[in-house]
Amino acid sequence: MEIVVCVKPIPDPETRLRAAPDGTTLDIEGVKFVLTGYDESAVEQALLLKEGTPGSKVHVVSAGPSPRTEEVLRASLALGCDTATWVELPAGVGHDPVTSARALGKAVSALPHDLVLCGKQAGDDEAGVVAGALGELLGVPDFGAVVDLRWDAAASRLRFQRSAEAGSETWEASLPCVIALQQAWNDPRTAKLPSILKSRKMPIAKSPPDPPSPENGTSRPVKFELPPPRTGAKLIEYKTPEEAAQKLVKVLREEAKVFP
Amino acid sequence: MSVPGAQRSGEPDEPTLCQDLWPSPAGSRACMSSERADLAGGGSGDERTHAPSGERVDDTKQVLDRLSFPEDYLGHADATGPVPVQFRVVTDPYGARVPAPPSRARPRHHALLYPSRDIADAARPPASRSMPDFSLTPEQESLRDLARKFARTEMAPHAAECDRTSRFPEEIYRKAFDLGLMNLNVPTEYGGSGLGLFEQCLIVEELAYACGGMTTSTIANCLALEPILLDGTPEQKERFLKPFCAEYHLASFALTEPSGGSDPGSMHTLARKDGNDYLITGDKCFISNAPNASLYTVFATVDPKLRHKGVTAFVVSRSATGVSVGPDEEKMGHRASSTSTVRFDEVRVPVSDRLGPEGNGFSLAMRTLDQTRTPIGALATGIAQAALDHAASYSLKRETFGKPIADHQAIQIKLANMVQAVHASRLLTWRAAWTIDRGQRGTLESSIAKCFASDTAFAVADQAIQIFGGYGYMREYPVEKLLRDAKLTQIYEGANEIQRTVIARELLRNYA
Repeated sequence: MEIVVCVKPIPDPETRLRAAPDGTTLDIEGVKFVLTGYDESAVEQALLLKEGTPGSKVHVVSAGPSPRTEEVLRASLALGCDTATWVELPAGVGHDPVTSARALGKAVSALPHDLVLCGKQAGDDEAGVVAGALGELLGVPDFGAVVDLRWDAAASRLRFQRSAEAGSETWEASLPCVIALQQAWNDPRTAKLPSILKSRKMPIAKSPPDPPSPENGTSRPVKFELPPPRTGAKLIEYKTPEEAAQKLVKVLREEAKVFP
Repeated sequence: MSVPGAQRSGEPDEPTLCQDLWPSPAGSRACMSSERADLAGGGSGDERTHAPSGERVDDTKQVLDRLSFPEDYLGHADATGPVPVQFRVVTDPYGARVPAPPSRARPRHHALLYPSRDIADAARPPASRSMPDFSLTPEQESLRDLARKFARTEMAPHAAECDRTSRFPEEIYRKAFDLGLMNLNVPTEYGGSGLGLFEQCLIVEELAYACGGMTTSTIANCLALEPILLDGTPEQKERFLKPFCAEYHLASFALTEPSGGSDPGSMHTLARKDGNDYLITGDKCFISNAPNASLYTVFATVDPKLRHKGVTAFVVSRSATGVSVGPDEEKMGHRASSTSTVRFDEVRVPVSDRLGPEGNGFSLAMRTLDQTRTPIGALATGIAQAALDHAASYSLKRETFGKPIADHQAIQIKLANMVQAVHASRLLTWRAAWTIDRGQRGTLESSIAKCFASDTAFAVADQAIQIFGGYGYMREYPVEKLLRDAKLTQIYEGANEIQRTVIARELLRNYA
């Protein structure tokens, strides 16, 4: 099975974030970029399918500017992906998820692909658009918020579950298709030190980006701001539970105005 | 891959700070590094100048004229009147300009103290900058991130429990081995990770941030296997290292004896020749990982009267007849690591398991410690960084007199002193690793790094407890463990008293 995984570099969740001077985006100065948690699950799923299906290959694809995109591709290679393809987009391009999907779709079309895996959304902008757009562009079905994906070799069918509003759906689908995965359900592995060293020397194929066109960049970010700092909590002092309840109701009514 | 800075060559030119700091009277804008290269004899010819006009300053005199040091700089003025001062601009790795003392006081091996560009050039990667670059390569960052992730997700959650119960968390060491974080210094051809000392230090600092004791046990193999790497024959490396590194195994370095560790010349453990074998008899103590190790590198003397010249190194299997291991010692800190005595009772060891010739052992032990001392500096730096982080974060939360204690100058001064010492420890450690990775012995640098970083770890952990106040003294909080763990770094791998002896000896030899 030829599996393509699409990954996106996102700012390390441990980074202290701030807005760029123009106020439209995140300031990426000194920010470290990593694989998003959803994509880690996608890479892990691809590697599990590869290990369970002899003769399979995992190709990782990412679209974005240097050097952050190269870093997440190398991180994926260190985890065990076989090849990496980088669609180099200039910095600033790619805030629009449809542009990203077009860039990825072109690279995926050029690769052998029975199954395309993505995280269900990116960990930074959480747009959740790329997987659906990719299915549309490739002309194959796509499924979101998938967990517990398995390959039934006898029936040549994928079987998986989706978290639905009031329960869990079980699906089966034939290839090719695009599957967008939930995060943190398959315990993504950690790359080993020799694999990290090896991944630094592996080649990364470059896929040329589309020339700018009116179809690309149909949306753009206009403002980025951090959430306001949390205001201090109010501590209620009391001697008996009854007194605590009375004081709490008073605060809720008079200060928080929860009650009329 | 070991030298930070090598990766930066080939970058586009960029304006540098030195343009403002060192304005050129002639209007040329030569960078400091170029000037230095010129002083050192013309450089390699590929030195870049930042000269928009295309002008290049290559006149030594012109550069010297610009340096207006007073003649009695560094107090070297002669009593009979000022002597003509001969300045040579030498490079200290952190960029300070250091004028050489006047000729009569110039040490014979000045380059040892201040490795200047002209002397060090041969070992330098081509086209690197003469100024150090403190950024890590993407590869080094990846290795550090791996160690950080492992330390914080696998080690840290168990650190307090293992410390309290003195448990040896073998499952964690097995995971460290699986990820390639154990036999860091062993070349890949023998199944190790094949890292330079600089990368080892990056990893060790991250591990020690989570738990000093677990780090000691994780890196004990590096110490125990180093003698085999240094003086083992290709056949011995193949025979000992390959099967050892292929699976999870622990090894121990057995040098210290109950009568003392700092004076190997007075060693009591005897290696008596018996045909083609040696019979080893004696006790080794404070041996890290000994209860769990399968292999020991043992130092014994073939004749106590020969003192240093009798010391000889052997590789001994745990399963050899006559090897017995004492109970795990109760320690003050590093309680997740195991330590015990090892007794050798007429243990038969073939000549083929001897490392180097007879009498080579003392030199081998010293060369081993030259290699492994620097990571102890990194380990201490990790402990110190953890103490600093705990203290700084606590100082913002804890309030007294109506405001966070971080707003009190008394606490700010403590934190400011702590962060200075931690930064200095890291830089000294990096410099020592960098020196050794360039093929130099680095005895002075590694002793300075180990001694300074370990004293810093103890002092910073002490100050962290002070900032936590009564809570810091309680086991419930993490900082008292850091102090207990830091204490060992001042003692093992050469007590800091010995480090200071070495540092003074290395210093004075340049003035003799």
